[in-house]
Amino acid sequence: MPTAASWTDRPGRSLAEARRAVVDVGHLVRFRAGTVRRRGSAGWFALGFVALTSAVAVVPAYTPGAGDDGRAFDLLLLLPTALAGFFGLAVVSAVASGGGRELLDRDPGAVLPVSPTTDHLGALLLAPLNIAWLLQAWLLLGTTAYALGPSGLAAAQVVVLLWLAVATAVAQVVAWTFEGVRRGNHGIAGVRLVTLTLLGLALGLQMADALVTVLDRLPTRRIVLGMLDGVSGTWALTVATLLVVLVLAVALGAVPAHIAARRTPRDEQRVESGRYAARRLPRSDLAALVRTDRGSVWRAVPMRRGIAVLAIGPGAVALLGDLPWSTMTVLPGLVASGGALLFGVNAWCLDARGGLWRESLPVAPGTVFTARAWVLAEFLVAASTLTVLLAAVRAGVPSSAELTALVCTVLVVTVQVVGAGMRWSDQRPYAVDLRSARATPAPPLTMVGYSTRLAVSTTLTGLVFSGLARVPAWEVSVLVAVPFVCWSLARLVRTRALWVDPAARARVVMAVAG
Amino acid sequence: MTLPPDGHPVQVRDLHVRFGEVEAVTGVDLVAEAGHATALLGRNGAGKSTTMRVLAGVVPPTSGEVVVAGHDVRRDPIAVKRAVGYCPDVGGLVPRATPWEHLQLSARLRRMHRTEPGWDQRARDLLERFELGDVAHRVTAGFSHGMGRRLSVVLAVLHEPEVLLLDEPFDGVDPIGVEATMAAIDDARARGACVLVSTHLRELAVEACSTVTVLRGGARVATASATEMSGEEGARAYRGLLD
Repeated sequence: MPTAASWTDRPGRSLAEARRAVVDVGHLVRFRAGTVRRRGSAGWFALGFVALTSAVAVVPAYTPGAGDDGRAFDLLLLLPTALAGFFGLAVVSAVASGGGRELLDRDPGAVLPVSPTTDHLGALLLAPLNIAWLLQAWLLLGTTAYALGPSGLAAAQVVVLLWLAVATAVAQVVAWTFEGVRRGNHGIAGVRLVTLTLLGLALGLQMADALVTVLDRLPTRRIVLGMLDGVSGTWALTVATLLVVLVLAVALGAVPAHIAARRTPRDEQRVESGRYAARRLPRSDLAALVRTDRGSVWRAVPMRRGIAVLAIGPGAVALLGDLPWSTMTVLPGLVASGGALLFGVNAWCLDARGGLWRESLPVAPGTVFTARAWVLAEFLVAASTLTVLLAAVRAGVPSSAELTALVCTVLVVTVQVVGAGMRWSDQRPYAVDLRSARATPAPPLTMVGYSTRLAVSTTLTGLVFSGLARVPAWEVSVLVAVPFVCWSLARLVRTRALWVDPAARARVVMAVAG
Repeated sequence: MTLPPDGHPVQVRDLHVRFGEVEAVTGVDLVAEAGHATALLGRNGAGKSTTMRVLAGVVPPTSGEVVVAGHDVRRDPIAVKRAVGYCPDVGGLVPRATPWEHLQLSARLRRMHRTEPGWDQRARDLLERFELGDVAHRVTAGFSHGMGRRLSVVLAVLHEPEVLLLDEPFDGVDPIGVEATMAAIDDARARGACVLVSTHLRELAVEACSTVTVLRGGARVATASATEMSGEEGARAYRGLLD
């Protein structure tokens, strides 16, 4: 329900309100930091993050070939596209999560006088706590170091760091604007239309062989030019421009954030007020549990929105980039990892406070576990399949070895990810309300840890099968997949055995019930 | 149902429940009879809800003996769950499932489609009685607190359990809902079920139950008849037991 502007929104008050909003961010950050369960681990994480980022930003500049006219120069030519790609990823991530993550969950935060400006600034602070953001940022820093070499490196990396901040802040403005539109009349249809138009436009450019030309003319070229000569007039102008844009974007983001906050999230409202027709009684206990769990997944806004982005995004990029079958094996791992991060790493939170009632039902706990793992697996397989189908559109007919390697990858990464997700769900359950598109199944730092571990294992698996796709005998992929699957299944069975223990199960159920 | 020799459907002896370093229940003894309703009264943190969770088979006891409908909760929790109808204290509903889907899941897992072919009509009647008929096919995430409480009671009584466990069933419920819950308790008592009601609303507890057990600090401090705990005198007595 839109609400009219209040008399308290007078411009004279806005500066004081902005100052208060910034101060409140500090309060919320301290509150959030106080809820970190393992302080020691968080400290080591921060130290590791700084060390890794410094290493990524410097070490490649001192490797052989850095700053030369060969591969380093090729990378320099690609840098404007990489900078733009980072911006695109930041936009998709912020739009998909309905304006970014929350410093304070919506329900407990509803009783506190937290302004949308504070919410906006908090979302900006949390944006880097996302493995996709971090990987892309490290990739940009590393590529810049290698492309330029040691000379003028510090000045160049200042520009890159500023670009990371600017791209994130502007993406946040775009995301709040999308969210504001989405919550307006016919907003959901409008957002879908815009998304499809942009995808169609990119596809059209690629079909017309004009995509490379467009990428070569991206305005990010000027940013790369500004970092080439070390500390110079051009560099100073570039830095100053980026700083101005950063400040403007951070301030401007508060405007659509306020507009979005005044409107009701329509997609959540639609789920909660919609009618779901009665169906026949399921034929078995397992079918009944699977049906309930499926409803919990597919009726949740963050899951629907997240899986659409995960399934279509990488597939569309592969389609535009004309990805060959042998490289396509990297996609299922990427999609499955992202899918698990939507709920699979805290799978029991789907029941929320209903967990206590469900636990009082007379059914074998092993069946409950099987149903949850099955629903997670089918969620991941559905997304991976859609991605692969999209990527396959322009890839031609695969050889039997390529097809087998891809199918094996989907199978292996699904079992891997389901196993890891169910294990973490058992070890560290959290009470989470997944109603909002901005909700995540675990706190931000924990999510970074989960996503890093999932990304490493599934990417390595994808690379192994990418190599096997080039081996003529298709049987080799199957032979390699068997031990992978057996190992992951054994771990899944061990997690199931833990779940069957009543005391361990009670701990999980009571934690997710809040 | 295999009742123990003395015929009490709920028998608890020296129940202890520990969560890490916190001991939520520190030696509760409790006996509840068939055809009677017993109230568990006490302040927040007295151990009422944890005791109810143990009786429902949701939380295993750390030590002590707990027999529900003739089944040891530690040895045969599934049999206990078949015999019990449980309304949890918090929420108790799957957020993105509809009331009808909750009822279907319970009916399926309790084999009601075989043992009680008319279960769906009973389910509809209950939803109407608790004024939830018009929201039967909407997800519970959009429900008010009172609607959620009412549906939790419906789910607990659907299969006419031998032991009915209602944890804070009146919390935030409007007068119509309270009446319907009272009627459900009366029905259960009339057919010989053992009813346990955990609440901190003394007036409603003495109205709904014949016996009152007061818990304090995780242990039982008194058991009295509802008559003794009613009125101003009962209020004074109850207040005295809380400190």
